[in-house]
Parts: sequence; C-alpha cells; structure tokens
Amino acid sequence: MIRVENLIAQRGDFTLGPINLDLGDSSYLTILGPSGSGKTLFLESCMGLLPPKEGQVWLAGEEVTRIAPEHRLTSYLPQDLALFPHLSVRENILFGAKRRQLDSVQVETRLNELLNLLDLREIIHRKDVTTLSGGEKQRVALARALLPQPRLLFLDEPFSALDAKIKRQLQVKLREINQQLGVTILHVTHDQEEAFMLGEQIAVMIHGQLQQIGARDDIYYHPATIDVARFLHNQNIFDMTVEEVLADGSLLLGNDIQLKAPGIVGVEKGQRLAAGIRSEEVMVIRPNKPIGPELRDNLFQATVDDILVFGGTQTLCVKLNGSNISVDVELPNCAMRDLGYAIGDELQVSLRKRSLWAIPMSCEHST
Amino acid sequence: MLDRDTLFKLVMFLPLVLLSGYFLLLLGSQSTFFNAKTFIDQLSQADIRSAISLSLIAATCSSGIAICIAIPSAYVLARMDFPGKRLVDTFIDLPMVLTPIALGTLILTSWNTTIGQLLSGLGLTLPFTLSGVILAQFTVVVAISVRMLKSTFEQIDPRQEQVARLLGCSAFSSFRLITLPLARRGILAAIILTWARAVGEFGATVMVAGTAKGQTATLPSSIYMAMSMADLPRAVTLVVILIGISLLVLFGVRLVLERKI
Repeated sequence: MIRVENLIAQRGDFTLGPINLDLGDSSYLTILGPSGSGKTLFLESCMGLLPPKEGQVWLAGEEVTRIAPEHRLTSYLPQDLALFPHLSVRENILFGAKRRQLDSVQVETRLNELLNLLDLREIIHRKDVTTLSGGEKQRVALARALLPQPRLLFLDEPFSALDAKIKRQLQVKLREINQQLGVTILHVTHDQEEAFMLGEQIAVMIHGQLQQIGARDDIYYHPATIDVARFLHNQNIFDMTVEEVLADGSLLLGNDIQLKAPGIVGVEKGQRLAAGIRSEEVMVIRPNKPIGPELRDNLFQATVDDILVFGGTQTLCVKLNGSNISVDVELPNCAMRDLGYAIGDELQVSLRKRSLWAIPMSCEHST
Repeated sequence: MLDRDTLFKLVMFLPLVLLSGYFLLLLGSQSTFFNAKTFIDQLSQADIRSAISLSLIAATCSSGIAICIAIPSAYVLARMDFPGKRLVDTFIDLPMVLTPIALGTLILTSWNTTIGQLLSGLGLTLPFTLSGVILAQFTVVVAISVRMLKSTFEQIDPRQEQVARLLGCSAFSSFRLITLPLARRGILAAIILTWARAVGEFGATVMVAGTAKGQTATLPSSIYMAMSMADLPRAVTLVVILIGISLLVLFGVRLVLERKI
C-alpha cells in the first residue's frame, strides 16, 4: 500500500532518514519511538504536508511524492484530534465525504456502518463538538477520518490524552476497524504497550532513523541495536567478547563470566558484542531443584542486592557471585511471595541461552 | 486598624477610582457647552454633516482595504517561514510607533518620487481629495489590523488545516472552510478596532489631504478647526458625535470578545 524509498526530510536542524519502508494492504504498522525521534515528521512527509528533501513515496503503486495531500486519498488523525469546533458532530464526520463529493447512498451506508462500529448513534446529533468527552471526540475524529474510505490511515499518537480505560476500549476498536474494514494503518506512538498491542509489525524510530522493523517478538526479544534495546527497557546489557564460535552458538566472555549465546551471523572470535536478556526472561532457580540442560548452560550463583516493587511486579536486583555484573529479574508479586527472598539471600539465576540476544558492536548506532 | 489585605485592595483600587473620576470629569465638563438645541442646530449645518459622512465613508474604505490586505499578510506571518520574515514583521509595525504626522510626511514626500508622479498622472492625487484621506487612514491603521489578525491566526491549531487537506481540501479551501470561520471573532474585532482608529485619525489625514470644508475635513480635523476658531459649541457637538461612535465601537468589541456575536 505504501512504499517509502530513501526518504530524507528536514525541519530546522533535525534531519530524518534516509527511511525505507514497504507496507502491504490492510496491514497495521506501528512506528514506535521516543519523543523527538522524528515520528511526526515522517508522517508529515508521507502525507504530503512536508515535501521531503530527497526520496520517494508510493501509494498503491503510484508515485505521490510531489502530489498534494488532498489528492492522495489518505486520512489523518493527529494527537489533538483537530475536530472542527465550528461544525456539528455530523458535519465533522461528513466533512471529508462532502469535499470528495462521494456518492450520497454509499456515504449513508458507510456512515451507518461507522455509527454502529464506533457507538456514535447517541451523539451524532450533538451540535457542539467542544462539549464531547475525550473518548467521544476520539470516536468522532476516527469516524471523520474513515468515512471517505481512505487508502491509508495515518495516526499520530491518537490516544495519548485519554485515561487508561477509554484508551484500551479504543485500541480494541481500532484493531476491529483494521480487521473488519481492511483499512491499512500507519500509527506512530511512543507508548510501547500500545505499539505491541496494535501493530502487526513494529518499526522502531530513534534519532530520525528506522533502526528496526519486524514482528512483535523480533523487536521485543531480539533488538537490532543498543538504542532499540535500551528504548525497550532491556535492563540487562553486558559488554562481552566472543571467546569461541561454536556449532550451535557462541561462547562469550566478559566481566568474569562466561555466557553461551545463540548463533550470530558473521561473528568472529575476539569480536566485541553487547549481549542482553530481558529481566522477565531471567529464571530464578530454587536450591536443589532439578534442572534441564537448557537452564544449566548459563547458571550463576547470585546474591539479592535490592528489591524494587512496581505495582503488580517486583524486580530482584541480584549480583552474580565472583563478578561485578548486576542482573535485574522481574517477577510477579505472587511468585515473589512464594519465593520470599530478602536482601542478602543467596539464589541461582539462569540467563537462558535462547532468551539471550547479542549485537556486534559495529551494528550499534550509539552506546 | 486596617488589615494588610484591605490595605492592599485600597492601594490597588485608588488609581482606578482616580482614573474613572478623571474620565467622568472630561465627559461631564462637555455639558457646560452642550445642549440638545445646539446639537440639532450644528447637525443641520452642511459642513458638519459632510464631515460626519466623509469620516464614515473614508474610515469604511480605509479599514476595508486594510483588512483585505491584512488577512493574507497576517496569515503568511503566522503560518509560513521565509527569508527575512523577522525583518518584514518588524517593518510592518513601523506605522504603530511612528507619529501620524511623520507618516503623513512620508506619504507626501513619496508622492514626489517617480512612482508617486506616475500615480498622480493616473489620477490618484492626494491633496484635498477623498483618496488622500483614505490613503492616510489606511497607512495608519493597516499595522493594527495585521498585528491583531496575526495573533488570531496563531491561536488556530494548524493541525485543523492539515486534517482538512487530507480530507480533500485544497490549501485555499481549508483556509476558507476552516481557518476563516475559526478566525471569525478575531477578524470582527480587528474590523471594529481598525475602523474606530480610522474614524479618529487626525495627524496623517491633515498632513496628506488637508482640512478643506466639505471636501477633506473629517470629524477630528473639524474639531481641531472649530477649537482653533474658538467655536466651542461646534467643537463639543463634534466631540459628542465621536464619543457616540467610540462607545458603539467599544460595545461592539466587548460583544465580540465575550462571544455574544
């Protein structure tokens, strides 16, 4: 549906790109990145609101780089929704259909479909959009964007101002829209939970670059760069060196510990790597509990250094014995209650080989 | 003994009371020279009626032209970036800080240049003409319009125009269908204040167009002429008319700003 080739855009001192992206029909891509990473600038360039400095944008096989936004048949839902306050709810929703002079019978059918899908029947006759609640405004803005049957819907942090409950309801609604209406969606957000819940594919944008594009698990468990790993809250990142390349992986050495890591393409003996494991993937092993070979590979004796409590989960900060490495272990409250650990307790942790990721230092964007 | 809060309120109130008293004194003192009979007598004189109609016509024309030029200019300054923007933005404010007499002098001297002579040759002469009055008033008031409208456009979220563009509007349609309706109140307030400032304009008008009775004498210049000839009843009548117009304008602005229109 949308293809972006070597797109470079500039605003002030900030340069975005070069960006390459190819998104198929009816798919849902979330672009995840911190504030100021260039997400909105990227959307503006794709929508035609800001001409790119270089590169091309293709929509449904047609090159649209220099085509005005109104001729691209796309829709846009910005962060502040930008409902038109001088128009009623109905006029807002019908705005795009009227401007595009769509067939009135088709518009009416589509309108009814959207009124049902977005539960808008009760508020469609309201005159003043400024008096709607946050969730209602969101649904009206979504209906306005969807009514003209856009080829592609651009969403720019659309749920950032909503409370958690309404946000969740609308996220579910958005997934239904993508699946039922087959609308291709390009959604930018800084909210990781939202990106992972909605995106079939996720692209991570940091410092104006798309650093990784992939499926949820690829992004979550196998970050391609240190920036991505840090942005996705990987707490356990270790500086290691390849000691030996094995048939089924690599043997890494660093900070007085040895780790067996999965195979890394093109890695050589002596090469420096950043290796890591998500805190919820670290296994805590009770003493004397029989364990399989998978857990035995990277099994360490450790001491509890600190315990941090976060709502429903707790983080055990443990120090590996005989090393200066600290490892965070995230456990649900119920597991922590069962285990009953306190600061100073001895325990065993396993940094499971299949949960480890490793990035050659040459692939880093910054360290 | 007054407590500190009461003392604070008194200190803050005192200047307001003095100011209100001063304005009441200014207005009240007119009653010494003003009565209904004199007012009607003065109004029956052709040159006073001419001054009133000339003031209203010239102010309407000059403020109309100013608003037509200020709307696109203010939009460009509020929304677009271009080289030298800061310089242009500052330059446009010049008429607001220059005394109207100096502005009048600038207009007159510019009419002695080649371009000015060319415009004169095309029939746009300034001394003792309505065109001169309108040009003088326009020069004084256009900066006020631009400044007010720029602030109005800056308060409108550009995302609304962007969303409209993606919903099928051209740049002009999104300006017409979204920006202008949202700027309605600001534009109305700018029209009223620009018009009021034009009605009261004196310095530049006198410099450029003079004060020929029945030709270029506006309300303010007629007041000046009446006072210079010590014709107090005439001057006070004209002042009362100006006060009436000003109060109407101020009331109009209030209605607009308090969203009653």
